[in-house]
Amino acid sequence: MSLSLVLTAHSLLFLFLFSVCLFGFIVARRLVLERRQARFGRLYGQIEKDVLEAISRLNPDFSLEVARKYRAHPGVLTQALLDFGDIIVGEGRDQLRIIFNHTVKDLCLKRLASRSTAKRLQSVRLFIIFFDPAESAFLFRLLDDKPIIKLAVVNALSRIPSPETLSHIFTAFEKDTGFTVQAYFNVMFTLGNRIEPFVKESLTKPLPVDKRGLLVELIGAIPLRNLSEDVIALARHPDKEIRIRVARTLGKLLIPETSDTLMALAADEAWEVKAQAVKSLGRMKSVEALDLLTRSLYSTFWYIRYNAGYGLAEMGEEGLRRLREVAVQEDDKYARDMSVMVLNDLVFPGEAA
Amino acid sequence: MSQIIHLVLHMFNIIILIYFFLINAFYLLFVILSLVGLYRHREMTKFVSFKEVFRLPLVKPISIIAPAHNEERTIIESVRALLSLEYPVFEVIVVNDGSADRTLGTLIDFFRLKKSRRIFRKVVSHKPVKGIYTSPLYPKLVVVDKVNGRKADALNAGLNISRYPLFCAVDSDSLLEKDALLKMVRPFLEDPEKTVAAGGIIRLVNGCTVKGGQVQEVRLPRNTLARFQVLEYFRAFLGGRIGLSMLKSMLIVSGAFGLFRKDIAIQCGGYRTGTIGEDMDLIVRMRRHLHNMKRPYEIRFIPDPICWTEAPETLKSLSRQRNRWHRGLLDTLLYNKVMLFNPRYGITGLFAMPFYFVFEMLGPFIEVLGYAIFLACVALGLVNTWFAVLFFLVAVVLGTLLSLLSILLEEFSSERYPRLRDILILTLYSLLENILYRQWLTFVRVFAFFDFYKGKEEWGAMQKKGFAQAG
Repeated sequence: MSLSLVLTAHSLLFLFLFSVCLFGFIVARRLVLERRQARFGRLYGQIEKDVLEAISRLNPDFSLEVARKYRAHPGVLTQALLDFGDIIVGEGRDQLRIIFNHTVKDLCLKRLASRSTAKRLQSVRLFIIFFDPAESAFLFRLLDDKPIIKLAVVNALSRIPSPETLSHIFTAFEKDTGFTVQAYFNVMFTLGNRIEPFVKESLTKPLPVDKRGLLVELIGAIPLRNLSEDVIALARHPDKEIRIRVARTLGKLLIPETSDTLMALAADEAWEVKAQAVKSLGRMKSVEALDLLTRSLYSTFWYIRYNAGYGLAEMGEEGLRRLREVAVQEDDKYARDMSVMVLNDLVFPGEAA
Repeated sequence: MSQIIHLVLHMFNIIILIYFFLINAFYLLFVILSLVGLYRHREMTKFVSFKEVFRLPLVKPISIIAPAHNEERTIIESVRALLSLEYPVFEVIVVNDGSADRTLGTLIDFFRLKKSRRIFRKVVSHKPVKGIYTSPLYPKLVVVDKVNGRKADALNAGLNISRYPLFCAVDSDSLLEKDALLKMVRPFLEDPEKTVAAGGIIRLVNGCTVKGGQVQEVRLPRNTLARFQVLEYFRAFLGGRIGLSMLKSMLIVSGAFGLFRKDIAIQCGGYRTGTIGEDMDLIVRMRRHLHNMKRPYEIRFIPDPICWTEAPETLKSLSRQRNRWHRGLLDTLLYNKVMLFNPRYGITGLFAMPFYFVFEMLGPFIEVLGYAIFLACVALGLVNTWFAVLFFLVAVVLGTLLSLLSILLEEFSSERYPRLRDILILTLYSLLENILYRQWLTFVRVFAFFDFYKGKEEWGAMQKKGFAQAG
C-alpha cells in the first residue's frame, strides 16, 4: 500500500469517527437539554406558584419558608428571582429579597469572583435587583472588571444615587475606553437632575470628543437647563460634531436667551451645524429667527431647507404665512417645492416631521 | 509526450489537492471562530435588555427600504410585518420598481394610500419616480412608484427619499422578526462612529407557519431542494459570516436584511445600478472608500436578528438564483479588482478579496477541473481505484462534517428547530447533499461565469408561493 493510500484511509477513518461523535454529541446534547428543560420547567412552575403567593401574602415567614423549600435548587431559583425581580417592585420585591438573602446570595457572592463571565454577570444582575447599599463595596471592586460587568455594576450603582455612587459612575465613564461608553448615557439619563454637578465637572475635563458630545446630548435629553451656559461655551468648539450637538441640545433646552447662540451657529461654516441650528430655532419658536428661517429656505443645502421648512411650520400662523409666500414665488423652485411639501405634509396630522 | 501529459496531470492533481485542503481548512477555521463568536455574543446578550435599547434616547431612527417588483402575492403581509416592528422611530419605504402586476394597486387599496407632493434630494441616481404615496392611516409608510430599473436602482430611490440616518435594506418578500431592528442596531449604539454596516441572519421560511407577518412555528421544508438550502444557509451565515466578521473580512451583508449608515452609503455613490450583486458590491465599495479615506470602520454580523425568506423549490428557479448570485460576485470582484492583494486595503485586500476570488469565484472552475482531470486519469489508466474511492469518501465525509458543525452552531445559537426529528433529517441531508446536489451547483456556477462574459443581465425572477403556502 502506498503512503498516500494509507494517509487517505486514516483521514477517512478519523473524519468518519469525528463526524459520528459530533452527531452523537448533537443528539445527546439535545436529549439532555430537553430532559433538563422539562425538569427545569416543572420546578420553575412550582417556584413560580410559591413566589407569587409570597408576593401576594407579603408575609416574611412565608417567604422564609419558600426560601427553605427551594434552597437545594439554586439554578432554577436564580432564574426565577431574575425573572420576577425585574418586574416586581415595592413590597413584593422585599419578599423576593428575603428569598434571595436566604438562598442564593452567598452563592452569588462567590460567583462575583468566578472566572466565568456569565456567572459573574448573573450574580451582578441579582445584586442589581436586590441591591443593599451596605454592599456597594463589593460592587465598587467590580468597576475594574470587563466592560460588560462594569456596566452592570454602574447600572446597580445608579439605583442608589448617593454622591459617592454617582462619583463612581462618572469616574468609570471618564476612564472607560470600551465599547460601552454609549450605554452610560442610558444609566445617566435615568438619574435625572441629580447628576448636574457631575456633568458640569466632567465637561471641564479633557475628555475625548465622543464622551464630551455624549454629555452635551445628556444635558438636552434630561434636560439640565442650569448647564445651558456650559453648553454655550462649547458653541465654538473646533470639532463639528460637538457644535452639532450643542445646536441640538439648545433646541431641547428651549431657553429663549440661547437663541443668539443658535443664530450664530446657523451661520456656521459646516452645513450640518447650520441645519441643526435651524431646526432648533424652529423648535424654540423664536420670533427673531423668522427671517433667518425664511432665508434658510433658499439655502443650497437640502437639509437646511428641509429643517427651515418644518421649523417655520412649527412657528404658528406667521411661519405658515411665510411658507405660503415662498410656495407661490417663482424665483427659486427648490425653496418653492420644499414649502409646498411642508404645507402638503401638514394635511396629515400625526405624521412625524 | 506521454511523460509530459503525466507530469501535467500530476501537477494539476497537486494543485487541486492543495486547493481542497486549503478551502476545507478555511471553512473549519471559520466554524471554530463562529463558535467563539457565538459564545461571546450569548454572553453579551445575557445582560443587554432590548427593552432598554428601545427606551434609549440616542437610538437613531431607521428608514427601512423595501424594493418590490411583481410582489402582489406577498407584499401586504411583508409590509404589515415591517410596520409592526418594535423600534422607537422608523419609516417604511416600499419602492415599487415598475411592477407589471398589481403590486402598487394592492398597496394603494389596502393601506388607503394617497398621492403625496413630497419632494426629495436626489443625491444618488435612479430611474424617474412616477409618484410618492402616503397614508394618513399609516404615517410610517411611504410607497414610491418608479420606472423599472432593478433592485439597486430601487434602493437608490429609497435612499433619496429616506429621512433617517440609518437605513435598512430588506427584500419585500422577506419577514423580519419583531425585535430584529432593536438587535441589529446594537453595534451602531456601541460604536456609532466606526460601525458602518451590520448584517443579520437569514433563515428559510419554507415549511414554517406564518401568521400576521410573523413566523409562528418553525418546521423544516418538505421540499428536498429547500432542505439542502437550509443547510447551505446554516453554513453560510452561522459558519461563514460570523467567522469572516471576526476576521474583519465580511464582504457581504445580505440584500435581504442589512443595516447601513446612510451618509457612508451616499459617499460611495449609493448602490451601483449596473450590478446584480448590489449587496456585496455596496459593502466592498464601502470598504474601498473607507480605506481610501483612512477611516477606521467596522462591518458587523449579528447572529440573532432574524429575517425569514422564501427559498426556491425547483431546480430551474434555484439555478437562476445561484447563477445571478455568482454573476453578482464576479461583477463585484472584477469591478473592485484594484483591491485584490493590495496591502493598502489591509485585511480586505490581503485576505477577504483573495479568499472570495480564489475560493468563491474560481472555486467552481477548480472543482470542475478536478472532475475533468479525474476522468482524464481514468482514461489514461493512471487512477488507483482504491485511492479514488477513498478520496471521494473523504470529500463526502468532510462535507458532511462541515454541515454537522453548522448544525451544531445552529443548536448553540438559537435551536429554532424544536424537534429532534428535524436535526436527524438535516444530518441525513448533510450526507445526501454531497452526492449530485453540490456537483450540480458547481456546474450552475460555472455556467454563470459564461453568462457573465456573454453580458447576461437577466435578474432570474423566482416564482413565489407566498407565505401562507410556503411549505
